[in-house]
Amino acid sequence: MSTGTTRLMGKVKSWPSWMVMGLVVVVLLTVGATRDNGPLTQSDRIDAISRRVACPTCDGESVYVSRASAAESIRNQIARDVAAGRLTDDEIIANIAASFQARVLLVPRATGFDALVWVLPIAVGVCAVAGLAAAFRRWRLQQGSVPSDDDRALVAGLLTTAHDDEDDEVL
Amino acid sequence: MLGVGGIAGPLGRASLLVGLVAAVFGLLAAVLGTRRADEKVMRLAPRFAWLTGIASLGAFACMEWAMITRDFSLAYVQKVGSWSTPALYNFTAVWSALEGSILLWLMVLTFLTVGVAFKYRSKLADPMVGWALATMFFVGIFFFVLTLGPANPFAAGPPGVLDGPGPNPLLQNHILVVFHPPILYLGYVGFTVPFAFAIGALVTGRVGEGWLLETRRWALASWGFLTFGIILGSWWSYEVLGWGGVWAWDPVENASFIPWLTGTAYIHSVLVQERRGMLRVWNLSLLVSTFSLTILGTFLTRSGVLNSVHAFSDGQIGPFLLTFFAVIVLASVVLIGWRGDLLRSPGTIDSPVSREGAFLANNVVFSVFAFVVLLGTVFPLVVEALQDRQLVVGEPFFDRLGVPVGLTLLFLMCVAPVLPWRKASGELLSQRLFWPAWGGTLALFASVVLGATGIEPLLTFFLGGFAGGAALRQLVLATRRQGLRGLVGRANGGMVVHIGVILIAVALAASNSFTRSQELTLKLDTPVTWGGHTFELTGFSRLQDDRQTRISARVEVDGTERAPAVTKFLKMGNNIGTPSVLTTLTKDIYVTLEPPVRMDSGTAKIKVFVKPMIVWIWIGGALMAVGTVLAMFPGRRRKPTDPVSAPVPEVAAP
Repeated sequence: MSTGTTRLMGKVKSWPSWMVMGLVVVVLLTVGATRDNGPLTQSDRIDAISRRVACPTCDGESVYVSRASAAESIRNQIARDVAAGRLTDDEIIANIAASFQARVLLVPRATGFDALVWVLPIAVGVCAVAGLAAAFRRWRLQQGSVPSDDDRALVAGLLTTAHDDEDDEVL
Repeated sequence: MLGVGGIAGPLGRASLLVGLVAAVFGLLAAVLGTRRADEKVMRLAPRFAWLTGIASLGAFACMEWAMITRDFSLAYVQKVGSWSTPALYNFTAVWSALEGSILLWLMVLTFLTVGVAFKYRSKLADPMVGWALATMFFVGIFFFVLTLGPANPFAAGPPGVLDGPGPNPLLQNHILVVFHPPILYLGYVGFTVPFAFAIGALVTGRVGEGWLLETRRWALASWGFLTFGIILGSWWSYEVLGWGGVWAWDPVENASFIPWLTGTAYIHSVLVQERRGMLRVWNLSLLVSTFSLTILGTFLTRSGVLNSVHAFSDGQIGPFLLTFFAVIVLASVVLIGWRGDLLRSPGTIDSPVSREGAFLANNVVFSVFAFVVLLGTVFPLVVEALQDRQLVVGEPFFDRLGVPVGLTLLFLMCVAPVLPWRKASGELLSQRLFWPAWGGTLALFASVVLGATGIEPLLTFFLGGFAGGAALRQLVLATRRQGLRGLVGRANGGMVVHIGVILIAVALAASNSFTRSQELTLKLDTPVTWGGHTFELTGFSRLQDDRQTRISARVEVDGTERAPAVTKFLKMGNNIGTPSVLTTLTKDIYVTLEPPVRMDSGTAKIKVFVKPMIVWIWIGGALMAVGTVLAMFPGRRRKPTDPVSAPVPEVAAP
């Protein structure tokens, strides 16, 4: 690539271009995420509710997935409730849960002991990120120190031992 | 016929017994030969490995023979055999239930043991190879004991049984039953090899990078088989189950996905250890986790403690698997603790904005994802044990937590491929990420123009375009310099895998967000239009034999005849739907025939799903397989004295 082209490309990739790109992305996301796609059809609504209810006689399948007669029966009940148009999705699910107990809920409640299933992943995620940040901090502090004998030995070993390492960024 | 078939049981049991004895002697030869540095004794180990392989093959052949001859003297044949099962599904019936699937596992394991013994036949004096073989034999002994004890496929059944029900109807309804389980098992069991070498490295104290280089291809191949097996399972589920989806987060699916997540973390972070000599404990932990999670997954899905659509419930095997899992974890933890001093890495990671920093972030995200899936899978068990009540954790839970994790991984796939080792400057990133980021913007623009809505799918399309651009950039640079050879090697093969993953992520986002479905009642010769497509019932056909009654509706979809069907398997009594899928590059039209079907009524109720981009899931899966193969070949060789980083621009002196 000639020097002129390189310089031109450098200008093209400068921060104003990134700003423009960022703006375009934000506008597109806002337009796409907020525009009205029309009301859900009854069928779509039945599917959405069925995905949140477990088939009571199956092995861990939702009513949406299962072809069992119990699932069929609950799907029909959901279809009737949706057609009647009086209840919200949550109310329809609450009615089914009242008939079959919480075993038909595919989304665990966020209260009591069940809340653990929501809290633990977040706690683990936060701890993992904190651990990573702590590790990077420790490594940054170590970088100021003089290389140890181990470090020197490692470098010497790597320089003398040839193996088929690949350079991942071929530039 | 019965008389001939009757020999399968005794022969099979004898084969397993011979295999067990060979595995025990193999273990002894490997341990004693290594400890005493006695090459003569050590040379016996490969012979015993061959014997275990021949014995397990013999046992498997006996089981096949028992199925083919319908030897109903065996309990297993009584359970899954039937005179009416077609030959192909009768062949695959061997792995259609617990005992046979453990036998298949054992056979794959012993073949891998033979493979290790053969590959390292000239390095048997090396203690690491000795201990690795010993570990393989140890795992083999466990599975031989399973097949001779709680999961004995050759156990005698009650007398007088002349026919059986055949395999589960879902396992005699599609050709993928031939491929999915064996390929998945190659992945599961394949991780035993790198695990065995990790144990060998810990025992011998040679915890440097040598064992990683030895097992690089084994690990990649296992990961590739596991990936391909999972994709095939999704395809099978889509084609057979009739609900129009590819993944339901059921416990058996999760049992394969959790080790895949930790295995994926491993094949990334292992690069940091090879390059920088760091993360030794972490990599060992990931490998131990991956192997032990395959055992835990088998326990969860084969012991009957959890239910799923394709779990084999059998209560006897659980304590064995749980004990073995505990032994594996405990022994590994003790060994890692024992070698703690040797595992200390002298180096540091200079900056989070570096290739190794991205790999670490990737590892954190994959590990958290694995934890989420494991927690969601076992939480019902915990609730039942502690509170004596039943709870189901299903798709909405996994989707809600999985989507942010998936988006984070996509973001890392945008950035990581352009990062150099050690450190990256802002200017470097700005240069390298510019066009990939515009690729993402273009993808987002196209999505919005085509009518896509919703923040999650739009973010997926943007990040997918971005990450695809980053992967393509790397491939273009590599092929520009090296021609087609630039596609080979871990880095560039890995980019092909990335493109496959991106295609799958985008297709899943599109199909999960924009699928439309509708139940239609069709009358003969009366077209119905829905969702821009025309459906016309033109007739029915009925097939009856001694195995099944199958009713198909002939439905013309946009002029193309399809035949969704409902099959009643007579010995099981339940209806199994067979969907008909019209596939194009942009969408699938998925049609199921809904029971009850009354041919004389002249009407049929069908359910139609219009599912965008589904075929790209399978194309993405194929690309992942191709990329894995490319990654297994050595790429461009780098001189050890070459700099590993791109030059950092010099800062002008103040």
